Amino acid sequence: MHHHKYRIVIPFLAPALIIYGVFVLFPYLNAFYLSLTSWSGTSSERPFVGLANFRDLLTDGRFLSALGTNAKFLVVLPLFIITIALLYASLFTQGGTGIFGSGFYRVVFFFPQVISAVIIGILFQYVYNPRYGILNASLESMGLENLQRTWLGDSSTIFWAIAAVVVWSSIGFYMVIFMSSMQSIPTSFYEAATIDGASRWRQFFDITLPLMWETIRTCLIYISIAALDMFVIIQVMTGGSQTSAARSVETVAIYMYIEAFSKNRWGSAAAIGVILLVLTLIFSVIIMRVTKRETYEY
Amino acid sequence: MGLRIRTYAGVNEVQPVAAQEVTSVFMTKDQATKIDQLFREVAEKGLSRREMIKRAGVMGISAYALTFAFVQKSHEAVAQGEENPLGVDPAAPLDVVVFKGGYGDDYAINVNDNLYGAMYPDAEITYIGTQRLMEQFQARVVDGNPPDVMDNSGAGNFSNAQLYRDGQLADLEDLMAAPAHGQEGVTFADSLAAGTQDEGQYDGKQYVLSFAMSMWGVWYNAAKFEEKGWEYPQTWDDMLALCQTIKDDGEMAPWTYQGMYPQYMRIIWDQLLFKSGGFEALHRINNLMEDAWTQPKVKECLDAFQALADNGYIMEGTEGLSHTEAQTFWLQGEAAFLPCGTFLENEMKDVVASVPDFQLTVQPVPSLNADDALPFTATQAGAGETFIVFAQGKNVQGGKEWLRLLFSQEGARFFSEATKSPTVVTGASEGLDLGSAFASAQAAIDASGENRLLSRYAGLYPDLNEAANKAFSDLLTGNKSADDIITELQELTDKLREDDAISKIEVPLYPIWHSQSEAGNATPVASPAG
Repeated sequence: MHHHKYRIVIPFLAPALIIYGVFVLFPYLNAFYLSLTSWSGTSSERPFVGLANFRDLLTDGRFLSALGTNAKFLVVLPLFIITIALLYASLFTQGGTGIFGSGFYRVVFFFPQVISAVIIGILFQYVYNPRYGILNASLESMGLENLQRTWLGDSSTIFWAIAAVVVWSSIGFYMVIFMSSMQSIPTSFYEAATIDGASRWRQFFDITLPLMWETIRTCLIYISIAALDMFVIIQVMTGGSQTSAARSVETVAIYMYIEAFSKNRWGSAAAIGVILLVLTLIFSVIIMRVTKRETYEY
Repeated sequence: MGLRIRTYAGVNEVQPVAAQEVTSVFMTKDQATKIDQLFREVAEKGLSRREMIKRAGVMGISAYALTFAFVQKSHEAVAQGEENPLGVDPAAPLDVVVFKGGYGDDYAINVNDNLYGAMYPDAEITYIGTQRLMEQFQARVVDGNPPDVMDNSGAGNFSNAQLYRDGQLADLEDLMAAPAHGQEGVTFADSLAAGTQDEGQYDGKQYVLSFAMSMWGVWYNAAKFEEKGWEYPQTWDDMLALCQTIKDDGEMAPWTYQGMYPQYMRIIWDQLLFKSGGFEALHRINNLMEDAWTQPKVKECLDAFQALADNGYIMEGTEGLSHTEAQTFWLQGEAAFLPCGTFLENEMKDVVASVPDFQLTVQPVPSLNADDALPFTATQAGAGETFIVFAQGKNVQGGKEWLRLLFSQEGARFFSEATKSPTVVTGASEGLDLGSAFASAQAAIDASGENRLLSRYAGLYPDLNEAANKAFSDLLTGNKSADDIITELQELTDKLREDDAISKIEVPLYPIWHSQSEAGNATPVASPAG
């Protein structure tokens, strides 16, 4: 009875499936295969080496320290991005329209989202420029010369300098998502709470947060995936691991790039990619499990 | 002469099948054998056309048979002659990819439009001027569908050594032996400055051609130095003394460098070692020897460098700067000395235009001391901007021909005028007034004679390149001492030497431009992996 409907569905789906297969599935599978070879990147031969690349990586101190850098981002980025984005979102939605000037701030805070990461990286290179950068200049004009640093040339500041840029450029996006989630909460809940004498904090923690928990979970996963990646901004802002300071923020993705493009070890780079994929999947599942709460329908 | 040209001009009009068939009727077997031998000699010795005709007479080849041989040979793509010595198929499309970096790519478009395009109007040229070549062209190379000719340079390019190991490079020996375009009686090889192509040889054969003479040295503003009464130092002690003077003067810092990219300082240091220890000192590093970094000269030179950091001679904040930021500060007069190559002026031309009184001048690195093995004039004056022809390209001969035209007097002169940089083509920039940077670089290159540095370890062993570059950043920022660096780099060198998975390419003690070189002694130690 219904089977002839597939005759219509299949031709419509086929192009999308084929494109997906060729440009998404096949590269993934190919990367898995590459990770089992010692391919040089330019040879037409791909000598099979089994799991040797993985074995080498697990004892490679540089890979492990790159993982450590990602772990640091994984802690820092969600913490700051979600806290600040929640704060802004509630400021700009409270009482329906938010504080004075909300419309302006909503637009301005979203700006970084429409700038490409490369431009942001270059922009902040100027901000952090040790001699004429706006950061050091501002510190100087406030009489805080002793706080001036070579932000991107010093192992003790480079991580925070980069994390700040990522936080700055990500807040807008999550703020918008949180705002839409908050706006969908019926105002009657707040009215009832106000009548019962609940403070604004109490309302935020007992009404807003639980009702938008699903949104926060999703965002947490997005940010975690971004923290496990961290390539473009670091590559642009540090020049890619050529100094001790840059090495101190070398992420797994940067190391993968170096293995492939400067060391001609594409097999090893593919293995790093596979590990990164697996870690990202595992991590997403963990976050999903750990943050699972009772959901509320309203 | 006129008659011969007509002979060549007629070559392309004859149908290949017809030529094959008539040969047996019109030429005796004896004549055919002699002609084959003649062509072999031409290819091996790179005889000019006139020499070849003479030789043909000696061998008893009739003009008639020779003419026919050319008709035939041109279709076998081995004809020798001034118009089309590489036997290019005039109608075959050509695929050209050029790194569009510090030198721009006007010079390559000039070859496409005014040289190759003019000589082979039927050939369709596909041209791309771009950056980060490996990311863009890797798939095509691996797939066996590479471009024909490529300027494989800049960040993100292919490793030439790796391409060679993987059999992707066309051997350029026939190009080297071909006549230079537009020069009577000069082979292509002889038209290039002696020895500039040494780094492009693997296992005794030419695979890579370098085009731009990119001297690396120490840059300063000659106008400012004159105003202040400072003189460029001849020894490292003088350098340190002048640094102190500059520091005390207070107008600028003595040094800055491209902080995020410490290889600029490593390349300067290589030269200090080269001058003090001679060819021998770098030979040990190039060949991953057991005392590559532990040899005493290395320590002396590292200490000399460390003095820059210890005495605060490096501009504050340098380590956090990108290359263009550091170069801008230097042009704005915030630092006196800057390490760089001759591409500097072109790379920074917008800033250079904004400081009209700035006299960009480059000099060799000062000598370490009076015990140096080589004179002050010894310098790194290698050729850069490397061009390759892919072995699997569809138009290999066309790729070589494109290079023959680029490396001609015409092609090279255009490049020098457009980029204010010298090339490897002898005499191509004669009579051009290209400013103080060009003049000082050309003078330093000329003065260096055979004492030009051969530093290949960084290009051959990416792990060593990375570690050495980082080590210099650590040394100059006070993170590590000279002794730490020596231990670290020697350990890595030993590890690389003992790792059989990494194929080694032996670098000769003396480069081939040196009077003591033994030509052809670059033999492989291990066979290429894979």
